Amino acid sequence: MTAVLEARNVTMAFGGLVALSDVSLQLAEGQIVGLIGPNGAGKTTFFNCLTGLYTPSKGQLLLRGKRLPGDPARVTAAGVARTFQNIRLFPSMTALENVLVGRHVRMRQGPLSSLFHGPAFGRGEAAARERAQQLLNFVGLGKVGDVLARNLPYGDQRRLEIARALATDPSVLLLDEPTAGMNPQETEAARHLIFAIRDTGIAVVVIEHDTKFIFTLCDDVSVLVQGELLVRGTPDEVRADPRVIEAYLGKPPEEIEAEVHKGETR
Amino acid sequence: MTRLTSYLRPGMALPLRVAGSVLVLVGALLPWATFVLNDGPYPAKSTLQFFDAPFEVGGFRLHMALLGLAALVVTFAPVPGRGRILRGLGWGAVLVSAVNVLFIAYNGGGLGAVTVADMPAFGGLVALLGGLAVLAGAYAGGIEQPVHLPTGLNRFVAWAVLLVSFAGLLMMVAWTLTAGGQGGVANPYAGAQFLSFLGFAGGLLAALHGAGVLPWISRLSEDHRPFSIVVLLGCALALPFTGAGTDYWMTVAANIGVYAATAIGLNVVVGLAGMLDIGYVAFLGIGAFVAANLSGAVAAKVDITLPFPVAAVIAAVVAGMFGSVVGSPTLRVRGDYLAIVTLAFGEIFVRSAQNNIGGLTGGPNAIPGVPQVSMFGTGFSEPITLGGTKLPSGVLYYFLTVLLVALVMGMFANLKNSRIGRAWIAIREDEDVAKAMGISTGRIKILAFTVGATTAGLSGAVFAHKLGTVSYESFKFLESVTLISAVILGGMGSIPGAVLGASLLFVLPEKLREFSDYRLLLFGLALVLIMRFRPQGLVPDRHRRAELAGEDIEGRPLEETVSEQAHLPTAAPVLPGEARA
Repeated sequence: MTAVLEARNVTMAFGGLVALSDVSLQLAEGQIVGLIGPNGAGKTTFFNCLTGLYTPSKGQLLLRGKRLPGDPARVTAAGVARTFQNIRLFPSMTALENVLVGRHVRMRQGPLSSLFHGPAFGRGEAAARERAQQLLNFVGLGKVGDVLARNLPYGDQRRLEIARALATDPSVLLLDEPTAGMNPQETEAARHLIFAIRDTGIAVVVIEHDTKFIFTLCDDVSVLVQGELLVRGTPDEVRADPRVIEAYLGKPPEEIEAEVHKGETR
Repeated sequence: MTRLTSYLRPGMALPLRVAGSVLVLVGALLPWATFVLNDGPYPAKSTLQFFDAPFEVGGFRLHMALLGLAALVVTFAPVPGRGRILRGLGWGAVLVSAVNVLFIAYNGGGLGAVTVADMPAFGGLVALLGGLAVLAGAYAGGIEQPVHLPTGLNRFVAWAVLLVSFAGLLMMVAWTLTAGGQGGVANPYAGAQFLSFLGFAGGLLAALHGAGVLPWISRLSEDHRPFSIVVLLGCALALPFTGAGTDYWMTVAANIGVYAATAIGLNVVVGLAGMLDIGYVAFLGIGAFVAANLSGAVAAKVDITLPFPVAAVIAAVVAGMFGSVVGSPTLRVRGDYLAIVTLAFGEIFVRSAQNNIGGLTGGPNAIPGVPQVSMFGTGFSEPITLGGTKLPSGVLYYFLTVLLVALVMGMFANLKNSRIGRAWIAIREDEDVAKAMGISTGRIKILAFTVGATTAGLSGAVFAHKLGTVSYESFKFLESVTLISAVILGGMGSIPGAVLGASLLFVLPEKLREFSDYRLLLFGLALVLIMRFRPQGLVPDRHRRAELAGEDIEGRPLEETVSEQAHLPTAAPVLPGEARA
């Protein structure tokens, strides 16, 4: 297995505050990797480093062995796409146009071509629209391409964000809490969608609070606590690890129950 | 409004509507002014004691009579969207009567002028009451859902409909332009007559909108875009053959054209890319000064004479270069702060021009004597004869500006529906995410400034030759503000909106001369009202309309489309196309 994305000893400090220290992560093609941890553990900071929003204080980020550029636009062009924890669509563009914006980086028309709409422009535009429509169909939004993003239901907005990210033809997709605020059916659908994305050969990194979701989705789970990588392994290993249970999941239910009973009988 | 309408009962609708229509109609035929005003008889026999010559009623009283008649017909005819139509007609009647009543009362020295003095004259008040009753009747009966007339017609039927509507539009433009006639000493009532006509036209258009006719036509013209463009261009070129075909109106129309083209350029920066540029008129100035200096004017500081097309292109390029310079702070500065930067640039430009820094602007002496554009042996200021019809002087400049506006509109439409245009809109919506989607926001933002400035520079070249004199006074801060108002008033990001906004904002000062001191006050008041009641602008962009009016992009109410619930892929779908290796 070759690593598509590799983070080597990434440290991110904001002045005196060390948000990430010495975090390493490897991602192979077609792999789904989960990133869990309590609030403030540095998960989103890690994403921001990966996507060029922040420049890490130390460490290296490699995409297929090449260093990632330190600029969000060029990172996306290199093949890393993301969604956002709080949905950030272009609210007064239609669903299709949102996806077309994602297509921007793979289109080649410059200002003059855009101005005069020559035959090459028409071909590129038609191809982009076709691709965008395919992606909308893929995430299950095929019929709402003409609806403004702001008017879509919440779950659809989440899926539209994924379609928009996919439109950049990424080799790595970063999903920041893709099921936040979803009901069980929607979460189930999101799982199917992420598997389908993985099946096309795209490597996926998922940040999520819903541990059940992560453990049934990912091939490999990393646990971040206070900016440090605590444990890394398969879902079963992570689930069984006492440090994780202590740091993140809390005490097992039997113990809590026992404590509650003790309190009652006293 | 909601609290007022809560007093109305559906049962009151019919009596109110009938009574209102009749009152409007009767009011139109009653005397309006109790005596002859100081400046002579107010238009259209308003001082007749009683109605005795029905077929000689003209001017605003004819408009009132038409509104009343239409309201009466609509009240009983089985038309869809009746409440909406009546609401438009009611507003029209209220506006027309209010404008005239206020004007007569003000000029006649009080309420006596519109009630009882030498003789009784209650026409204005009766009509106003009638208008209010029609409005109340419209609300009492309930305002229906928007009407959707069938589209997807046979091509020839659609073409015929479009031809008729665009011809109507042409007549409307000609009437609006000439309404009230030329202001000034010759006609002291020009301003009031014009405002009254605007009220009438607005009421009529609102009624047509309520009947679903305007949205229908706009859908048809979108479905038959090339045909519509050709016909619209033809209509614009036909304006000199209507009542507006005089020296004066052609000059006014050509001026409007220059500002309309400039406003479309500003629309790229403000409407699409969402960057507030309040020093934009400087680019018009740069274009004008460059063209003036290259034209061989006596006062020009550069001793070369270039033909107009060459000078225009150079003016556009130079303005565009300044545009990219002014745009470069956008790499670091956003929002309000950018507005201040552009304001500063505008001021720097106008002060430098005023003080003749660089020696290219002539300072307070301006650059006079810019020669007229001359092509194929014809000077553009000369009157011409076309197919046996003698056209007034200035008509060639009018044609030139029509071509300019058409060119700029085409450019804008192409850009908007392209990769670059979407990138601009994405930046307007959320700049950080736009960057995360791979858009090099810095370059794209500077490009917006460059395109806007180039457009203004091109317009500036026409401006210089048409006016003959280029002075810094034409490029002051107020002009920038007016241009921004034009863009926002018409509808941000909308092409016809920018043209309509520019037309209104540059016609109004011309028409309202007699209100001199109150002109800007009225102007500001109108803007406040429009922003309050129609934030999406007069001719909103499809997206913005959907956003602010709760409709989807096709103009249907929202519930119809969005309710389609999350039906999810049960089997894992296959992503089409190659995943990138």
